[in-house]
Order: sequence, then C-alpha cells, then structure tokens
Amino acid sequence: MEQLETFIVESPDAVGAKTTRTLIMDTIADLSLSRVIGRLHVFVDPVEPVFIFAALLRLGTPSIRLKDFAKVDMGALGKDEIRIEIDKEEYTIKLLNKLWERYGKENIEQPDKNVLIVKADPLKEMDAMSELVIEEPQQEVLDRLIDAIALRIIPEGFRVRKHELSMSHVLFVASEDTLKPEWLAKAKDMLESLRREENA
Amino acid sequence: MLEPVMYVGGVYKHNHMVELVEDLGGYILQKNVMQTEVVLLMLVPINDIAIVEEKAKELLGKLTRAPLTGSEIATVAPTLAYHHLPHLDCDVAEFLRKQGAKTNMVGLARGVGKRICQLTAYERDLINEHDVAVFILGNYEHCIIEKSKRLYEGIEIPVVVTGAPELRTEDVPNATAYVGNFGRILHHMRHSEELRTLDKLAEVIGKVLDDIRKEIAKDPPSVAPPRIKKEIEEQVQEIIDSLHPLPITLQLNGARVKLPYEEFHEHLENIKFVEGVTMKEVAQVLPSKMRDFILIKPRPKSETGFVI
Repeated sequence: MEQLETFIVESPDAVGAKTTRTLIMDTIADLSLSRVIGRLHVFVDPVEPVFIFAALLRLGTPSIRLKDFAKVDMGALGKDEIRIEIDKEEYTIKLLNKLWERYGKENIEQPDKNVLIVKADPLKEMDAMSELVIEEPQQEVLDRLIDAIALRIIPEGFRVRKHELSMSHVLFVASEDTLKPEWLAKAKDMLESLRREENA
Repeated sequence: MLEPVMYVGGVYKHNHMVELVEDLGGYILQKNVMQTEVVLLMLVPINDIAIVEEKAKELLGKLTRAPLTGSEIATVAPTLAYHHLPHLDCDVAEFLRKQGAKTNMVGLARGVGKRICQLTAYERDLINEHDVAVFILGNYEHCIIEKSKRLYEGIEIPVVVTGAPELRTEDVPNATAYVGNFGRILHHMRHSEELRTLDKLAEVIGKVLDDIRKEIAKDPPSVAPPRIKKEIEEQVQEIIDSLHPLPITLQLNGARVKLPYEEFHEHLENIKFVEGVTMKEVAQVLPSKMRDFILIKPRPKSETGFVI
C-alpha cells in the first residue's frame, strides 16, 4: 500500500494551508509516522477559528507476548522454578527487564544464552508469565501520534479540544472558543469520506 | 557618527587593521579567529571609512557594512514549545547573531492564541530593554493581524513581525516592519530560498536599526556605548572573570553589564573618564530586568551639555 494515499489540507487561507501542509509533513517525518497514517484530511479556518484533523491509521503489528517467541515450561522436578526457552534473541533484553522488575534480580538465572530460570511457583505463575506483554509497538506508535498531533501540529492557542482515538482512526477538533456542534459534524463527515475512499 | 562594519580576512597581519581602527577612534567589538580566517566586528568613524577600506584591500580582506553590529535584539516566540522551537526561532536568533547582533530569546508565558494572547508586565519591561523585538508568528493572515492588535501593547521599541503570508507592513497593526515567507516552520532553514528569507529579515532589521541610529544622532549620548564598554573592561577587574556570553553587551543606546547590581552599581557609577567626568555624570546605572544585571543608559547631550 502507498504511504499517505490521501493528504488534503483545506483552508480558506491558501498560503496558510501550504505552510500547514509542510509542517505536517515535517512532523510526520520527524516522528517516523509516515507508515502509520494511511489517509489524512485537515481542515483549518482561522477566522472561525477551528482546526480539524482526521486520519485513518495502519498500526501494524499487535502486542508481542512472551509465548509468541519463547517456550514456557516447568523447571527441574521438585523445585519451584519456571524454565523459559527463548527462540528469538532480539527480545531477550526487554524480557529480562520485565522479569527483573517483577520477580527481582536475585530470582532470575541465565544458565545459557537462550535459557532463563525464574524462581517462582510454576502452578500460580506459569500462565500469567506466558501472557506477559514484552513489546507494545502499537501503543508506542499511538503515543508518538498523539505527540505529533496534540503537541506539534494543532496551533497552540487552540486549547479547547475534542478527540477520538481508536486502533483504526484518529480525529481531533480544536478551537480557541467553545466547540460548535457543526464542527464536530463536519469532522465526522470528513472521517466518513476517508473511510469510503478506503473501502472503494 | 560610528559606522558598523565587518572585516573578514586572513589572520596574518590582521592586527594592522585592529590598530588602525583603534587609532582612528573606532572600536573593535568582537574578534573571532577561525583557523586561518578572522572576523572583526567594528565601529569605525564614518568619515574614515575610506582609509579602513584601503587597508582591507591591502590585506586582501573584505569589508562589509554590518548594520546589526552592536545591537541587542529580542526574538520573541509565543511560547517555548515544540511549535516554535528549536527550529525557526533558533534559526532566526542564530542568523541574526552571525550578522553581528546579540540576540536574546524570549518565550512568553501566555502568548498563544489570537484572542487570548497576553504580555505580562515583566515580559514587556524585559523586551523594552532591547533595541528591537522580533515577534515570530505563524501561518495565517487573519491570526497575525488579530494578534498584532493586542500583543505588542506597551512595547516602546520597534517591533518586527514575521509570518507566512506576504503582507504589507501597513496591514499589520502596531508593527514597525513585517517580513513574510516565514510561518511556523518545523525544519532547519537551510534551503536557498529560506536563506534568502533570512537575509531579507536581516536587511529589514538593519534598516530599522539605521533609523534608530539616525534618531539617536539628532541628540547624541554624552558618552558612546562602546566607550562605556572599553572603560569598564579597563577599570572593573571582575568583568574579565565573568563567564556570561558577552559580559558587556552593547546596545545602540546603552550597555548591559552582566554583574550583580547590588554589589557593583556604585563601583560602576564612580568609574572615571580621562576627560575628568565620572560615569554617573554622563550615564544612568540602572538595575536590569534580566537577572540581577546592570543596564547603563547614557544621558543625552541635551541633558548634560557635552559629549566626551
């Protein structure tokens, strides 16, 4: 799929729209969000004043759990141990950090490069451990996205804001004054038309 | 009247230039040596410019007029947020600094919005201590005009405004000058057309400063600010140990001395000039709004009746 299939910045002030377009592109590039935003429609009217930001997202990989890249087993017979055998080495550091935080450094041993022994009751802990979330790429991307939109793109003076955020879309309406219902309706329309384009 | 100029040339024999300017009664404000090149920012008596030009030619250096030399400029952003920093604001400040000005960046506490923007009394007084204020505004014509109606209230120094649209200065209320093609830019300004825009800004500010110089020349200060700087450097030991950037910052009509007011103001007031007068006779030594620094404002000729 192409990056940013739709990218519209609409405004009665043509020069302002052009600069806003550049500034959005700069921000997206700075925070490496270009693969995340699929379609984007921005409407700005400085006279009203209102700023609407509607985008469809492509978040990519969901959260990575321990069971996705390792085998979780009982340890040696008769001992309160859990044995973790890691298949993908790239997550080891993050996994160790999480385990240290939870069980304490003294309770974790690493006899081999790919093997971890955790001193904990296997009956109680094993299921919870295999569901342990190691990395949340989607959440990280969403954090960056909010940083980009709320802290960099929307003009600073527009402090009255309403937003909607899901795994598939983001919608921001911001103004200096109280938000009017017609702006919210316009924002919904913009999002809907982006959806129609996506599905066509 | 002293003319602000910049000399760029080789390090070899550059001291000839320094000595010539000092002999002519001019001042060397800054000297930067970069490997084999030297940049001198100087004030030269306007009648002797030809002699200095001759010398520059002899040393194979280049002499250019640098109207920003010896001025202190406030670059004002509505806030100190990602919206304005580090790009654009720092770019403007840095560019003006390269042209010879001392720039101070001011981030307002409540400068955002076209309806809700405000300037606090402290910010206003602080900005008024500079020669020129550059307000760096955003993308939309309507916002720039609306904001200009209220934001510069109480600012007595010339106000230069930047923004995205190409507006005439007359259309921007309360502004002394307006420079377009800026806007809220979130990348480093390094493309050729962006650099041209910055050149334009420096040129406009240069004109504004020249107007101030002409105004000052009508009733000249009893003692020239560079002379104040020279005397303080010679008579106040502590200034040499000061680690502040430019411990004595020149302004077109004054100087900021980066020493604590309480401790040093009497010492400065009693500085003696060879002409037989003391500092307090020819200038006011005031507390600055910037930290606990000292601001020296020379008294005009009309007040003292003489110029040294």
